[in-house]
Amino acid sequence: MRLEDLRECVQKGLDSVKQEKTEIEVFASWNELITMRLNYTSDIPSGGLQEPKSSQFSGIAVSSAFSDKGKTSLGFGSQANELRPRGVTEAFRKAKRGRFYDPDFRSLPLPAGNPTLVDYHDPAVLDISDKEAVDLGWKALEGALRAFREAGIKESIIVGGDVCILKELVAIKSTTGIDTFDVSSILTAAITTMVEKEGVKGTGWATSTKLAGFDPALAGREAALSAIRTIGGKRLPPGHYEVVFGSQPITDMMANVIAPSLSLATVNASNTPFLGKLGQRVTSPNLNIYDDGSLPGQIGSKKVTCEGLPTGRTDLVQEGNLVGFLANHYLGRKFSSNVATFVPRNGFRFHGLGRTYEMQPGVFPTNLVLEGRQGVTTEELFRGIREGVYIGRIWYTYPINGLAAGDFTSTVIGDSFLIKDGQISTPLQPNAVRINDNINRVLQNIVAVGREKKAIQVWSAEEAVIAPEIRVEGVRLDGISAGTA
Amino acid sequence: MKNIFGIEALEGAKSGIREAVDYARSLKDCRYADLRVGLVETRTASSENGNPKIAREDVHSSFGIRVIAGSPQTEAWGYYAQPLSKAELGGRALWKTLRQGIDRAYQRAMVSSQRKQALRELAPALSPVRLAPVEVRKDTVTARFEEDPRRIPIKEVLSEAMNITRQAKSVSPEMRFAFLMMATGLTRELFFSTEGTELDQAYALTNATLLVVAQKGSAIPESFIDHIGGHGGWEAVRGKNVYNKSFLDFALERARDTAELAGAEFLPSTEKPVTVVTEPHFNTLLVHEIIGHPTEADRALKMETAYAGRSWLLRRLDDNEFGKQVASPLITAFSDPILEGYGNYKYDAEGVPGRRVTLIEKGVLRGFMNSRETAAILAQEPNGSMRATACHYVPLVRMTNTVIAPGDRNPQDILSEVEEGYYIVNHRIPSISESRENFRMSAQKVYKIENGRLTRLYRGGGITADSRDFLMSIDAVGNDFIVLPIPNCGKGQPMQVMRVGNGGPTLRGKARLTGEYAR
Repeated sequence: MRLEDLRECVQKGLDSVKQEKTEIEVFASWNELITMRLNYTSDIPSGGLQEPKSSQFSGIAVSSAFSDKGKTSLGFGSQANELRPRGVTEAFRKAKRGRFYDPDFRSLPLPAGNPTLVDYHDPAVLDISDKEAVDLGWKALEGALRAFREAGIKESIIVGGDVCILKELVAIKSTTGIDTFDVSSILTAAITTMVEKEGVKGTGWATSTKLAGFDPALAGREAALSAIRTIGGKRLPPGHYEVVFGSQPITDMMANVIAPSLSLATVNASNTPFLGKLGQRVTSPNLNIYDDGSLPGQIGSKKVTCEGLPTGRTDLVQEGNLVGFLANHYLGRKFSSNVATFVPRNGFRFHGLGRTYEMQPGVFPTNLVLEGRQGVTTEELFRGIREGVYIGRIWYTYPINGLAAGDFTSTVIGDSFLIKDGQISTPLQPNAVRINDNINRVLQNIVAVGREKKAIQVWSAEEAVIAPEIRVEGVRLDGISAGTA
Repeated sequence: MKNIFGIEALEGAKSGIREAVDYARSLKDCRYADLRVGLVETRTASSENGNPKIAREDVHSSFGIRVIAGSPQTEAWGYYAQPLSKAELGGRALWKTLRQGIDRAYQRAMVSSQRKQALRELAPALSPVRLAPVEVRKDTVTARFEEDPRRIPIKEVLSEAMNITRQAKSVSPEMRFAFLMMATGLTRELFFSTEGTELDQAYALTNATLLVVAQKGSAIPESFIDHIGGHGGWEAVRGKNVYNKSFLDFALERARDTAELAGAEFLPSTEKPVTVVTEPHFNTLLVHEIIGHPTEADRALKMETAYAGRSWLLRRLDDNEFGKQVASPLITAFSDPILEGYGNYKYDAEGVPGRRVTLIEKGVLRGFMNSRETAAILAQEPNGSMRATACHYVPLVRMTNTVIAPGDRNPQDILSEVEEGYYIVNHRIPSISESRENFRMSAQKVYKIENGRLTRLYRGGGITADSRDFLMSIDAVGNDFIVLPIPNCGKGQPMQVMRVGNGGPTLRGKARLTGEYAR
């Protein structure tokens, strides 16, 4: 698919359905997700690169606001896989047939400045061949296996995970004056390894927007070395601990508990722990959180949202105070007042396979960044911890009693250690500890925030989290099954 | 209403698919290929607090191809998938599109086979893909419904959704938010393989997901999400579904419960296990998480290690729980796609007839749900448990209707025998350990049981336990068996959200209570 064809489709399509007293927006998308899923088990017959696969999505979405007898009614229509003007006509017909009056609707998105991130995709990713893609998957596996071989480990090995290549093309044009397009390319490698008889698990990541410099072998190697480092893990008695969370646990908590709470979508549903707290302190004063979809080189970056609006930085928490919520145009207009405005930088049509015409624009983060008011070195982060825990990877993190309550739970599955006298010491046995705590309390009890940050994407998330290591006091950890499975 | 691009369009696609399968057979070193072509027609509407939010009519068609090719010692999988337009569904156009897809899948398999060969010294367990044999089948399964989803105007779907959220929002002054997403539609899928299997299956699905939020004063808001629906047409909305309730009555009941809970105390946690009676709605999710998932063969064979996790039931091929006691002798569990429920179908996504799989028999582990590939590795018969959310997704081993079998106890007697304990009602959110060996799961409502009677209602509660300990602790199983819908089971990469049926009867066992933690 060529971008020119997509742009011509929305241009000619809009021309063909334009009519008086009707606002119309035409959105067209084409994307392809190539996934190289790994499965190597040294003790069970296995395929290595288990699934070299791809899927595409393409189609048109039309949003229309019809002026009928003094009332504005809203209609949505879509047409799958028909990137031609006649697809726009058909989608418009559906929008007209299903139109309704929504009292919360103010207008279709209106032009709002120029994007700062332009021309940031890699043409080499868009043109990648099947052979090159398959090779990237095998390289990730080889990277992990060579690291195990160097360590003399030949048995009980598991290597899983994937290398993903996402290509996205969108074009948007409306009668309200929006006329834009976006092309993005994203490469990720997320590799998990185990030495199963030792009960250890390690993870490695690589992310890039360019093919050159993307090294899945390194992610495989990092995953293997990480598993090897945690051999000989110990269990932990239950209690409250001083914990240093690594970048992955921070990412998991952000993606599943914190970010959904910082969205106007959950404000709209009265279902966030931050309801009514705008301007109030919600975390330690040492924490800043913002979302920025215009960061160069980051995998969550886009030129424009799926509403055709420029991406950019939205401050959410500044020095511990809640200062904003993520918004799309619809909810931004609904909740803006003379005391608070919400700039719509996060209206995306994500659906697990990139941007798709099938969804209405929801509220989605892009690159969520956490940083300390005063970031510290790794040595300073650990300094003074007499007995604590470094948690490097958690799993299945959920707001167990509903988002608004803030209670969350998660299990520690790898990459974790005990801390003694300010130093990493004995590895922590994977699958032997469950975190049972409350996110409000954890955010308030932040003691220090690391200076170094890492970009990570969790399973099935569209956004990246750019997270430092964070030290929190009094985290409740419970012992669970011996982890022999 | 004129049906311009509907499931009937697949009838004309069959000749093109046959031609494509013949083409795959002709490729050098291509040992196997299958093609799935599907089309989904849906009407979807949503409403918040009585106001309309979405009204859409969608038709989506796509195909998926699986190929096994390469040199005999290193045969490998190759896949390809893409959507289909209306124009592409007809005769020669379809053949051309499918042939290009086969070429891409074949190329991926061939390159992968070569790389597999090159890496064998470093990775001696690399093996050619093997599929357990199955009978060749030709069959047609038609959709069952009373009121054709395609004859329901989108305005009617929207109007129903608006009425439900308007009434749900009005049940109490504490109600802050009522949202409903409702859909009705038809799906048809064709499966053709180089072995000669040709299947044509269709089903109707009508369902709704509800979110209600209530708040008393400035207290923490109470929310609840639940789902209702079934294989069928619009009649499901009026009560022909597993709950035997109209969607409206279902929503009103959930809204009233949520409003009542908004004023309840949070459950305190316990440090030691206590007696808990868990009712069928709660057990629906419990079975899903601690019996269903660990008895999926791909998970047991470590293929999901990076995503959904492994299984505590199989450490190694020669060190596992097969034939061993993993639950109380009162527990029998099975997975059955023939049962009515969200996991109902005749043939799976590999063309294998679905059949009942006994997972646990009187507490002893007996079997796994499998695919043709995992069945070959485990030297078992394929049991038809491969499913894909749509044809453009790669099939995975999935639950069907996976349940604990009914016992012989009256659930009221199970409760009344408890001197001191807790009654755990309606599932909410799970958090499960990596090999499903431990769980924490929240409930919508928890009641204190004192001298056999329910005395006090709590919110924000649930239970936690090691899976084996909990299953072994079961000392009573009710006769109140039910299969409920789970609409959103996530698995695979990219994640596929699948609907499955789960359920069982009332159970009594031991677990720690989880509730409020310091805020």
